[in-house]
Amino acid sequence: MAFGGGLLGGCRPEEPDHESSAGSGNDNVLRISNWPLYIDAATVSDFERATGISVQYTEDINDNNEFFAKIDEPLKRGQSIDRDIIILTDWMAGRLIQLGYVQPIDDANFPNKKNLLDRLRQVGFDPGRRYSVPWLSVMTGLGYNPRKTGRELTSANDIFDPKFAGQVTMLTEMRDSLGVVMVGMGIDPEQCTIDDARAACAKIKRYRESGHIRAFTGNDYTEDLAAGNISVAVAWSGDIQGLSADNPDLRWVAPSEGAMIFSDNMLIPRTSRHADLASKWMNYVYDPAHSARIVAAVAYPSAVKGAGEELAKLSPELARSPLANPTPEQVAKLRGFKWLDEHEDREFNRLFLDAMGG
Amino acid sequence: MAGTAAGGSRQNPYAPYLLVAPGVLWLTAFYLVPILALARVSVNVTDAAWYDGYTRAFSSYGMHLVRSFGYALMSTVIGVLLGYPLAYVMAFRAGRLKNLLLGLVILPFFTTFLVRTFAWKTILNDQGIVVHVLGSLHLLPGYGRLLNTPYAVIGGLTYNFLPFMILPIYVSLEKIDRRLVEAAQDLYCNSLQAFRKVVLPLSLPGVFAGGLLTFIPASGDFINAELLGGPNQRMIGSVIQGQFLQIRDYPMAAALSFVLMTIITLLVLAYTRALGTEDLA
Repeated sequence: MAFGGGLLGGCRPEEPDHESSAGSGNDNVLRISNWPLYIDAATVSDFERATGISVQYTEDINDNNEFFAKIDEPLKRGQSIDRDIIILTDWMAGRLIQLGYVQPIDDANFPNKKNLLDRLRQVGFDPGRRYSVPWLSVMTGLGYNPRKTGRELTSANDIFDPKFAGQVTMLTEMRDSLGVVMVGMGIDPEQCTIDDARAACAKIKRYRESGHIRAFTGNDYTEDLAAGNISVAVAWSGDIQGLSADNPDLRWVAPSEGAMIFSDNMLIPRTSRHADLASKWMNYVYDPAHSARIVAAVAYPSAVKGAGEELAKLSPELARSPLANPTPEQVAKLRGFKWLDEHEDREFNRLFLDAMGG
Repeated sequence: MAGTAAGGSRQNPYAPYLLVAPGVLWLTAFYLVPILALARVSVNVTDAAWYDGYTRAFSSYGMHLVRSFGYALMSTVIGVLLGYPLAYVMAFRAGRLKNLLLGLVILPFFTTFLVRTFAWKTILNDQGIVVHVLGSLHLLPGYGRLLNTPYAVIGGLTYNFLPFMILPIYVSLEKIDRRLVEAAQDLYCNSLQAFRKVVLPLSLPGVFAGGLLTFIPASGDFINAELLGGPNQRMIGSVIQGQFLQIRDYPMAAALSFVLMTIITLLVLAYTRALGTEDLA
């Protein structure tokens, strides 16, 4: 039954496999896994030219849970996952840190860490940012097409306007959808309880069963929004910015009650043999000018001080956009989602999965 | 098997075992062992009774099970209705076009399942031509759209598994001895009677096999429901995927997989009894 043992959870992580990690350490390749369309075209090659390190950059993360299911077993056993940097959302980064799956960042190679925005320095899941630094931040609000809605949207509750029945999508990422719904119900997602989650999920379920909510999606809501199949979507800020080149009608709005904000964080798996190269990469992208170049391409807010000013030089228009460069007042209204322990996480997910239809 | 080898050279008595050994080893390693591991996972419940996953499979997901088998049944029936006439024409009437038609039936396999299903999203788009034409003919279902409705899911399932229906039916029709049809006609059957009394019964093994090859994968499928359906069309395959990857409730997911397998096995047994075909094509 050697096949079966690994599937059964609950065992402590084993010590990393030092024998294999001691092996060929002189290959100069940094392997990065990131989400699709989350970087500009030049950064990887510029970094390679500047440092002589070659980078294997793969866009193979599509979903926090699915990616976790892929790396959980090997990291538990201390086996290599053939990646030196992985980029995951706050709550998932917190889970990996708690499980001991990641190694501390080597600050000696990372002087630019001082450029990390103050508001992102102290996070509950990683006090003092020993293990993680943000790649970019993502805001979740409403994406819509005013030509189809016939009006501007302002409130998180606009998703439930009966006029939009059958033309609404939500995200399968629980914290994004649940957060926006909670904000509309007057619940603070940063302080929410299981009862709040129950109430919000019951609401989502009601609107799903009546057919008001047409689908729960990942990034693919963008196609439906651009095609005009839907009028309103719980949407990620940068997606709408990216679509607006071909669909100038589309808009993204932070609900007046507040939008959600998350960061996706760079982490070094504990089995990576190239922590030194990884921190050189982090140092490179934490240069304000380098960070601004990425933001100019993907329109998600940077976590680096001074990137806003650098962005103004590259694209004054984007630097004025609340999507790519929110003002401190706009940032103050953004909400995070409460840190859930493993048990709460499972309960919340169970409720949300049921609300989504199983 | 051994009985047919009378006379001539002496045979190694172990030959049959040696011949089946690779298959048995393969199935043991890659089917039996994982199945046992899955069974162990399904009862490895920490905070409730060991059978908790199984009871919840019915109490929480009964509707998804019913829906999955309903959609699979619909697409199998539609598959027979669409596939049989085509297979019949290919076997009896197509002449030189036979190979071309066969090629066309197989052609979709040159592109992956996933990409073809994505293509249907574009075809059935609310702004697309199909919805416009049906809309102006007042044939559009109550939803006012096709995408994210049961129609799209059943249509997608039918489309994706149709070749598995056509090919076995074609094979069983193809090997029917034409002289039997002539004999029936000599005995004053008209062509409809000849079809009903001779061709149809002889082709049933193909229909039977095609039904299995369509129904079984369709009931466990989740790609069509995910891409073409809405949240009220989720099938049991999506639930299992969500339990494994999203909630990571492995006992629940494993129990659901077993419930699905058991129901399929029972349905197939009942189906075999009902059709009574011993010699599958």
